[in-house]
Amino acid sequence: MRNNIKNIAVSLSFIIVIFGFMAANIMMPDKEFSYGERRRLISIPDFSSDKLLNGDLSDEYEKYILDQFVFRDTFRGLKAFGKYYLFNQKDNNNIYIINGIIEKMEYKLNEKSVLNAAEKLNEIYEKYLWGKNAGYAIIPDKGYYMAAQNGYLTIDYDRLTEIMNSNIPNMKYIDLFNSLSIDDYYKTDIHWRQERIIKIADLLLNEFGNDKKASDNEYIEHKLYPFHGSYYGQAALKPKPDVMYYLTNKTIENAVVFDYQSNVSGKVYKADLFGGIDPYDVFLSGANALITVYNEDCKNNKELLLFRDSFGSSIAPLFLEGYSKVTLIDLRYISTDLLENYIDFSQEQDVLFLYNVQILNNSSMLK
Amino acid sequence: MLFSSISFIYYFLPIVLMLYFLVPFKFKNFVLLISSLFFYFYGEPIYSILMLISILSGYLHGLWIYRSRKSRYAKIPLICSVVFSIGILLYFKYADFLIENINWIFGIKINSLKVVLPIGISFYTFQILSYTIDVYRGNAKVQTNFFNFAAYVTLFPQLIAGPIVRYTTVEQQLSNRKHSVEDFACGVNRFIVGLSKKVLIANTLGELGNIFSNLVDSTILFYWIGAVSFMLQIYYDFSGYSDMAIGLGRIFGFHFLENFNYPYISKSISEFWRRWHISLGSWFRDYVYIPMGGNRAGALKWIRNVFTVWFLTGLWHGANWNFIIWGLYFGILLIIEKFLLNDLLRKLPPAAGHIYTLFFAAISFIIFNTNNITECIVYIKGMLGILDIPFSNAETYYYLRSYGFTLIIAAVGSTPLVTETVRKIKLNKNGEAFLNISEPVVLVSLLLLIIGYLIDGSFNPFLYFRF
Repeated sequence: MRNNIKNIAVSLSFIIVIFGFMAANIMMPDKEFSYGERRRLISIPDFSSDKLLNGDLSDEYEKYILDQFVFRDTFRGLKAFGKYYLFNQKDNNNIYIINGIIEKMEYKLNEKSVLNAAEKLNEIYEKYLWGKNAGYAIIPDKGYYMAAQNGYLTIDYDRLTEIMNSNIPNMKYIDLFNSLSIDDYYKTDIHWRQERIIKIADLLLNEFGNDKKASDNEYIEHKLYPFHGSYYGQAALKPKPDVMYYLTNKTIENAVVFDYQSNVSGKVYKADLFGGIDPYDVFLSGANALITVYNEDCKNNKELLLFRDSFGSSIAPLFLEGYSKVTLIDLRYISTDLLENYIDFSQEQDVLFLYNVQILNNSSMLK
Repeated sequence: MLFSSISFIYYFLPIVLMLYFLVPFKFKNFVLLISSLFFYFYGEPIYSILMLISILSGYLHGLWIYRSRKSRYAKIPLICSVVFSIGILLYFKYADFLIENINWIFGIKINSLKVVLPIGISFYTFQILSYTIDVYRGNAKVQTNFFNFAAYVTLFPQLIAGPIVRYTTVEQQLSNRKHSVEDFACGVNRFIVGLSKKVLIANTLGELGNIFSNLVDSTILFYWIGAVSFMLQIYYDFSGYSDMAIGLGRIFGFHFLENFNYPYISKSISEFWRRWHISLGSWFRDYVYIPMGGNRAGALKWIRNVFTVWFLTGLWHGANWNFIIWGLYFGILLIIEKFLLNDLLRKLPPAAGHIYTLFFAAISFIIFNTNNITECIVYIKGMLGILDIPFSNAETYYYLRSYGFTLIIAAVGSTPLVTETVRKIKLNKNGEAFLNISEPVVLVSLLLLIIGYLIDGSFNPFLYFRF
């Protein structure tokens, strides 16, 4: 190719790219959500002369233009490709992928936050739970099983459990670290897989002296595919999606879930939420401040108070064999002081605090 | 508006290109002027008026200087122009710094004016000054067309972060310039190369710098990584911007002078400054150093001149003592080189000169990048292992592994190795054909990759915007 043809090729390709994308951006309708990033996208800013003169309008336009650029997810993928494969970086926005398993680097241990979480548990114990059969368990993140071996940074898990154990004197600690493995988690999501944690439900029931076992039951596995977990969109590289299974049996199917916030009763699973922003909402409808699952088939009148994060949604149905009531409390959405308005703490109750390490390492969200 | 923004590349630039190339030549400067005013207004609405006042001042002073050039009072309009331009710069850039120091020296409490620095004021003020001084000296013809003069000052490719384009460089091109496919293609090439330097390299190194700033447990190795990383970041950031400016200028038919020439291959600090921010160095040389007598007035006066120029160079970069110390640091190094080191450096192997220059340049950028002297001393102590910190830790190794390849690419790219390789390949007919085919493909690929980086990235400041 001669120089002048090359010059024409360079000029034309530049013009086509910049004019093409300008036209595409103008013509394509704006999107409301980014399912990949699980967030609402910025819409066109309102005009005001004040905003124009103080520069806020141009700032808002910049953000709007970035959010609404055509093929946004494809370009995010291109950037991730550039980071991982062209520049050989180990992570992209703290996300890394090993053998198709996506994990977000949680680093480093925030000792103040863990101490704050321990104090929150003590506060609740002293206020409401004195004398009850109470325990706490920490759910490790996937990093515990794969980060260090692959040269990634992780929090100091030993120190984390040490802080919790040495600051929570009145509740027993139930170790889950050695009972789980990397295969018990979704590849594209932060959460554990319900069909793989029956053993964890058994372990926890046993620790509370409950004679029932989750594994004594036969479950029907319901398959949902494709499951694009929360890390799927963040990784931006379109890895293979997961398969989600949810387990049912007669007890779970008959159980009734009551949501205190909406005063509405419903079922344990809502498969129609699989197509929503967070497919994990299939389990107990996702994030809820306070819900109780009633199991009419169980006559022991025992209640489990489960202080939990989103991991609790998938394990709670597996506790139903052992309890006639399981109440799930998410302290991210309800204040400790309000609990006595909804829960009768004078009843016989087992109490389990079940939190994953990310919550403990960022515990300011616990109210 | 940043060159490295979606709004610039995919909205502003295509619209300006379309308007510019559709109108007849006599309206092209007007299109550039209106586009440049919008470009500035978009990022700095209120201070657009200040820039217009400065332009009007430069234009009127130019006419006044020209009309008074043969009279005995010819210097009056020049002095008036310099006082006006420097006065505006002093007020908007240095007033609060001055108040802060007066308060400190005299133990009084004058309230700060809280003046926000207008973007690009140092650059356009120096351009206007170069014009009026050159008209006074007879080196430039007076520009009687206000729109042409305003187009020169506001020309958006170089408006807010340079290079400092002197009026004499573009004097002819303002009224008579040619446009060609070759210029357009070369401009596009240069613009995309500059954009890649900024977005793919400088921003990535900036991320590493942020990580370093937020470290709780630092190590000796990380202090060194931080120093090298910032040194490369500022080079890629500023030279990338200059490349974009030169490339955009070329698209519109202007030929700006080079602003960087591989400064990190220098074998002495004086060579470094002949290769770094050339437009600023030559501005101070021609408008301050030489008028003061340069090196022709004896050793003591030469030392005075050097310190004056480097004090001003430091001050130009910012209203902060670290910039002044940074400038004086170079002044001291240049004096030491002149009297002690030049002969020694000539006798030593070239590698010694490279290591010497890189080390002192790295230290200079630590002074440049830290907020105060205490912070700077802590940093240097950290590098030298005087602080009670380990040599390395897991975190340091992780980030070194993660950013190591980018650092290597950046280091290699800061030498002429790539350009030389391309030049040698072009000597071969097949090699040239290969490069001609691959150039558009590579450029478009880079442009698409950059979209991804801009869309998914949050770190995109220009270091030289604050000047």
